[in-house]
Amino acid sequence: MELNGSYILPASTQKIWEMLMNPDTLAKVTPGISRLELESENVYKAIAEVKIGPVSGKFEGKAEVLHPVVAQSFTLNVHQNSKIGNVSAHIKMHLKAVSEHETELSFAGKAHMSGLLARTGNRVMSGVANTLTKQFFQNFEDELAAKVEV
Amino acid sequence: MSNKFIGKSVKRVEDKRFITGKGRYTDDIVLPGMTYAYILRSPYAHARIRSIDYSAAEAMQGVVTIMTGEEVGHYGVPCGWQVNFKNGDIMKEPPHPLLVKDKVRHVGDAVAMVVAETRELAQDAAEAIIIDYEVLPAITDASKAVLPGAPLVHDDVPNNICFDWEIGNPKAEVDEAMASAHHVTSLDFVNQRLSPNAMEPRSYIGQYDNVYDKYTLYTSTQNPHLIRLLMCAFVLGLPEHKVRVVGPDVGGGFGSKIYHYTEEALVTLASKKIGRPVKWTETRSEAFQTDAHGRDHVTHAEMGFDDQGNIVGLRIKTFANLGAYLSTFGTAVPTYLHGTLLQGLYTTPKIHLDMTCVFTHTTAVDAYRGAGRPEATFLLERLVDLAALEMGVDPAELRLKNFIPAFDGVTQPGYQTNVALQYDSGNYHSVLERGLEMLGYENFRKEQAEAAKTNKILGVGFSTYIEACGIAPSAVVGSLGARAGLYEVGQVRVQPTGKISVFTGAHSHGQGHETTFAQVVADRLGIPMEDVDIIHGDSDTVAFGMGTYGSRSLAVGGSAIVKSLDKIIEKGAKIAAHKLECSADDIEFKDGKFTVKGTDKSLSFGDIALTAYVPHVYPANLEPGLDFSSFYDPTNFTYPFGCHIAVVEIDKETGFTRVKRFIAVDDVGNVINPMIVDGQIHGGLAQGIGQALFEGVEFDENGQITNGSYMDYTMPRADDLPMFELDRQVTPCPHNPLGVKGAGEAGCIGSTPAVVNAVIDALWSAGHKVKDVRMPMTPERVWKAMQPA
Repeated sequence: MELNGSYILPASTQKIWEMLMNPDTLAKVTPGISRLELESENVYKAIAEVKIGPVSGKFEGKAEVLHPVVAQSFTLNVHQNSKIGNVSAHIKMHLKAVSEHETELSFAGKAHMSGLLARTGNRVMSGVANTLTKQFFQNFEDELAAKVEV
Repeated sequence: MSNKFIGKSVKRVEDKRFITGKGRYTDDIVLPGMTYAYILRSPYAHARIRSIDYSAAEAMQGVVTIMTGEEVGHYGVPCGWQVNFKNGDIMKEPPHPLLVKDKVRHVGDAVAMVVAETRELAQDAAEAIIIDYEVLPAITDASKAVLPGAPLVHDDVPNNICFDWEIGNPKAEVDEAMASAHHVTSLDFVNQRLSPNAMEPRSYIGQYDNVYDKYTLYTSTQNPHLIRLLMCAFVLGLPEHKVRVVGPDVGGGFGSKIYHYTEEALVTLASKKIGRPVKWTETRSEAFQTDAHGRDHVTHAEMGFDDQGNIVGLRIKTFANLGAYLSTFGTAVPTYLHGTLLQGLYTTPKIHLDMTCVFTHTTAVDAYRGAGRPEATFLLERLVDLAALEMGVDPAELRLKNFIPAFDGVTQPGYQTNVALQYDSGNYHSVLERGLEMLGYENFRKEQAEAAKTNKILGVGFSTYIEACGIAPSAVVGSLGARAGLYEVGQVRVQPTGKISVFTGAHSHGQGHETTFAQVVADRLGIPMEDVDIIHGDSDTVAFGMGTYGSRSLAVGGSAIVKSLDKIIEKGAKIAAHKLECSADDIEFKDGKFTVKGTDKSLSFGDIALTAYVPHVYPANLEPGLDFSSFYDPTNFTYPFGCHIAVVEIDKETGFTRVKRFIAVDDVGNVINPMIVDGQIHGGLAQGIGQALFEGVEFDENGQITNGSYMDYTMPRADDLPMFELDRQVTPCPHNPLGVKGAGEAGCIGSTPAVVNAVIDALWSAGHKVKDVRMPMTPERVWKAMQPA
């Protein structure tokens, strides 16, 4: 499944970068993530509970940040296992300053599913991915707003 | 012989238990101390197993045993049909282990089996097994799997080619005919992969009895004796006399339950290991991954015509997908059950099929209702209809011009094809002519012209088919590589009171044998149908059998019963002659009575039965008893044929296609029970139309099945289908005693191309001159075909 999109967030690239590299923030804004722990440098252990179409499951696995270029780009490698199938994703993230207080975050990559997840949810998968992405950016914005208020 | 039941639509005697929910299927059977198995399957299409850790699972409460490839991976299931490469080399036959230990080769490949006190506990424990996979690239398209650099399914099978094969006239002769043709119609198409979807999922129980040292396997199968033979002789090496295989009520097969599956051997082994019965029943999700699929051909086909519209040649190149492993008949389907049918109903003088059979990282492919013959019919009928459109001639006329002239196979010889078979009897023009009459052809073309101006366009599609049924003459199939003869066994036991127990090696899983066979027996013996019991599906009570597939039950199994009935009557006449003090030659048997010819002296069938078992007044040169068993080995295949016509309506705005009318004129030889034959035709038509419009297994680039559930895989439903318009013609089979040809697959063989042709006809009528719309012809695909390129 192709994953593509971009979103403009109301903060500087530096600020967005810091938030993206902070596991606590990421855990908070990523839909379904219940736990995200830094295991070693740039490697996170992740536990997520996600409902995708007709199936839902608890996912455990790793997320790895590769080739980080501060405030510019990184690649996210995710491998999650569950009883209903496994997901691997390879996503390239780009940050681009639109203005001093606005950053365009774009992503492009692919996700592969296996098992029950592939067999029964495929038809609705891209719809689910779009919803989850939207939710992620919405949460991100909310989190930014909350930080500004504090 | 009387004619009270044969030819009558007697209601099916088995339906009382089926429609009241009292059928006894394998999963209904609960044995004392029974345990339940769950099989852990690969989520990947291709991956190396680095390690399996089942220590946590083994420690879980309720777990009885866990088996892996380490323990049973050296056992494997065999292929039943050897096909050789063009150059004579034997096909590649990589092992198909019960559980894999090194490398998984398709989604659903079995890795471990957990046996526990309940099914849920077994599943929970299976989920606690940790397997470290190294995921490898996978290939699912047979035409691409042969290309250099494609991932290999089996490391020792170069280019994934199991074998290449050809049939027909020498290639050079066909090339020459095609080169001289006035018009050549060519077509590239995919005959897509189908999931069989029997209503009852596969279910097996292994039961080892240590008192008698005997194994019993209850199995949802189409042929219990064949499973026993394969499992004993080729898989587990068990002594056959110590193994009983029972196929109780079985809820549909469509081919998918012919084969010997790994799980049958697994539950048998596990039961011996733990000393308790082990039941395994698949989920629907597992059925999509592991029940052998059907079809999956990628084809380039060409048909050449002279300037008068006569077919001069047929040239085909096909890649057939066999899946990751060889299923029991996987190699025979795209070859001997497909290539041999490419003569169709036509006089085509030069035919050549070049077939490459290929391994891919997918579920095994084997026979599915029609098995190779629907693929042959699809190819021929698509080409003929398309050629008619391209040449601007009428598709019905083009067929009539090229049909083989009628022959009865008795006073006229059978028809020798260019692809090995000799047709037994046929009258092809009249089925198409009758179909046209039912359609109201001229009127339809007027309606179509009117509709072309509206938003709902109309199309008509023709399909005429022939199939080879009554599988199969042993000598013929033996010479073609079948590793077993395909005769059938029928035993008739007359009980002392004149009641009849019939034991047949054919197996009923929806066909209505308990009714049809009883009709034959009751009429032959002149007794009521209730006095006849048809017993099948148990290797301990039925002497032997080859099972049910390829529309063979009545033609081969029924003929074996008739042979035994003849022996019963012959011996009965001898007993009657002794009691009536005349010569056996003077006895005639009619309407259930043995009568001295030309007199009113007679004895009833019941009198003779009692005399046979209470032999106080009995001829000295006869043994007591009235019980005969016969093997019937047919001398030829049988060749049902027919004409199917579809009328479709397409919504131009949405591409939605509705089958408006469906006409089927079938000739299946003599008919014992018209209602059962109609039912078989109806079911077959639904499946064939299902392939054209709805069904198809889809894989993603990693070999994942992306529509492996009923939420995603579209089955035809009653409201997708029109009221079928059926008619029949009878050209008896000249070489079996009942004159029957077989009806189980006919509907599925003829219908698919009729629907596709109708869609193409509709599109052309609206000015969209496309050659093909890929099946299933979803609204999206049909809509796209109507958009400017």
